[in-house]
Amino acid sequence: MTSKEEGAVDSVDISVPEEFALRDEVRWLKSEDLNLFGYLRETMNKIEPAYVATYPPSECGIATFTKDLSSSVAKYTPFSKPSIVAIKREHEIEPYERVVRFQIFKENKQSYLDAAKFINDSSIDVVSLQHEFGIFGGPDGEYVLDFLEALEKPAVATLHTVLQRPSPNQKRIMQEMGRLCQVMVVMVRLGREILLDTYGIDPKKATIIPHGVPNVHRVSAASVKRALGISNSRILSTFGLISRGKGIEYVIQAMPKILEKHPNVVYLVLGETHPGVRKHEGESYRNMLTDTVNRLGIEENVRFNNRFLSLNELVRYLCATDVYVTPYLSKDQIVSGTLAYALGCGKAIVSTPYLYAEEVLADGRGMLVDFESPDSIADTVNRILDEKELKEGLENSAYTYGRRAAWFNVAVDYLDLFHRVITRHHAGVAEVKGAK
Amino acid sequence: MDWLRITRERSGWLNSHRPKEYNPHMEMDLQINVRKNGTTRVIDLTGEVDAYTSARFREVMLELIEEGGQNLVINMSKVEYIDSSGLGALVGGLKRVSERKGRIVIVCDQPQVSKVFEITGLEKVFPIYGNEADALNLIGGEDK
Repeated sequence: MTSKEEGAVDSVDISVPEEFALRDEVRWLKSEDLNLFGYLRETMNKIEPAYVATYPPSECGIATFTKDLSSSVAKYTPFSKPSIVAIKREHEIEPYERVVRFQIFKENKQSYLDAAKFINDSSIDVVSLQHEFGIFGGPDGEYVLDFLEALEKPAVATLHTVLQRPSPNQKRIMQEMGRLCQVMVVMVRLGREILLDTYGIDPKKATIIPHGVPNVHRVSAASVKRALGISNSRILSTFGLISRGKGIEYVIQAMPKILEKHPNVVYLVLGETHPGVRKHEGESYRNMLTDTVNRLGIEENVRFNNRFLSLNELVRYLCATDVYVTPYLSKDQIVSGTLAYALGCGKAIVSTPYLYAEEVLADGRGMLVDFESPDSIADTVNRILDEKELKEGLENSAYTYGRRAAWFNVAVDYLDLFHRVITRHHAGVAEVKGAK
Repeated sequence: MDWLRITRERSGWLNSHRPKEYNPHMEMDLQINVRKNGTTRVIDLTGEVDAYTSARFREVMLELIEEGGQNLVINMSKVEYIDSSGLGALVGGLKRVSERKGRIVIVCDQPQVSKVFEITGLEKVFPIYGNEADALNLIGGEDK
């Protein structure tokens, strides 16, 4: 459960509510009403998913996604036990929660077979696999196939990367996953089209479920700013794990032009350097960004918060934001958790036209700017800050869209999918047994 | 017919969780209307039953049960969505009416909302009808 952080914001409650969930309600019944508890246990659907992915405290987008998804689904299944099979490097010690029941050592092939055996021998009835080539071991993460080959339970793969121009090995892996998984989930329509056209995945196996966003009700940015002590500033922000592909330097370069018209703008860069990037190049990207800020003499107008932020911190900063910017550089990016969160908070969004942004910001839900173009960013941000009606229209459209993608809706979509997959799997097993 | 309109202003929970610069036009909400039909109380819900609003819904439901409403018909035809906290509130209400040998019946014709009951298996716990007349017939409230 996410709790409000004490003292940080004293007049605005923008903690993300998770209390009163069904799971807790039923647990509460346990000691007080055994008859009703027993009745519910008998009649409510049970489903035991295992999530194979990275998991907090690992700091990456997929780990956060897995925690959000598994805890959202669990709220609807009070009598089921979710399990996490966490992927990690062999020599790293991660103080996982108890929900992590098995660990896969990323570069150890046998570990994938052991994980499959663990699941096969357990009461787990469906596997939700989060896929991104880099989180699995072997060339292009091909050990994931060893796991799926050995798995006897039905699997649903959620794809966090769908490359338009894969290497031959990446294409082979994706196609094999398509064969071995019952369903592949992508988060936007375009992702499904690529799966069908580029990889030849069976259309019946490819489905769309949006990226989840926290359940945030809107509060005025002004009230949150006051609580944060930045009442007189207009806030631009970008958050997430920082790496070169984020294109943050182009927003910084756009700042002088923005400040000419709006001298009270502050650009917040929220988040630490991606741990994987830090290992290889340290803080060189962030240093380059701060050098640019110093060179332009805009230290007061660009602030960095070099930490991995909690959900509540993120939501608080997002609520205080006037314009959220994703200036990413890779056209192929098929999902962005941070952009999804900004939609969920109903923000005016400015983004480069990578695939995910192009689709979710269509129909007036955001504004697209050219790649690597400080001028385009500055002009668009200035327009939004100048035109109140435009800003409010963007915010309303974003929020309406984001609401459909609230985690509790996405959890229902996944549960529905899990049920169908399990039913089909059992029917298939019965058919095979009948044929014998 | 006896009408009681529960407004935001009556809700202590919402007031206590409301930011000082609260703007009602910026927040989606749950409207709760209560009607009396014999010994049955019909609760009309409009909007969203989620973590922000379910405590108020539960509060209203428990108040009605305390006041002697043995059977409840919850009309969710105008509910946009219900999340697990809303389902939890219903289970809380069910516990309370069960102690009084009463029941809770749901009216719902929204596929998205029905789906939530279906995937959780709560459709077996709460009888669900597509229209209010059928729900009242089941509960026998019209004749009382």
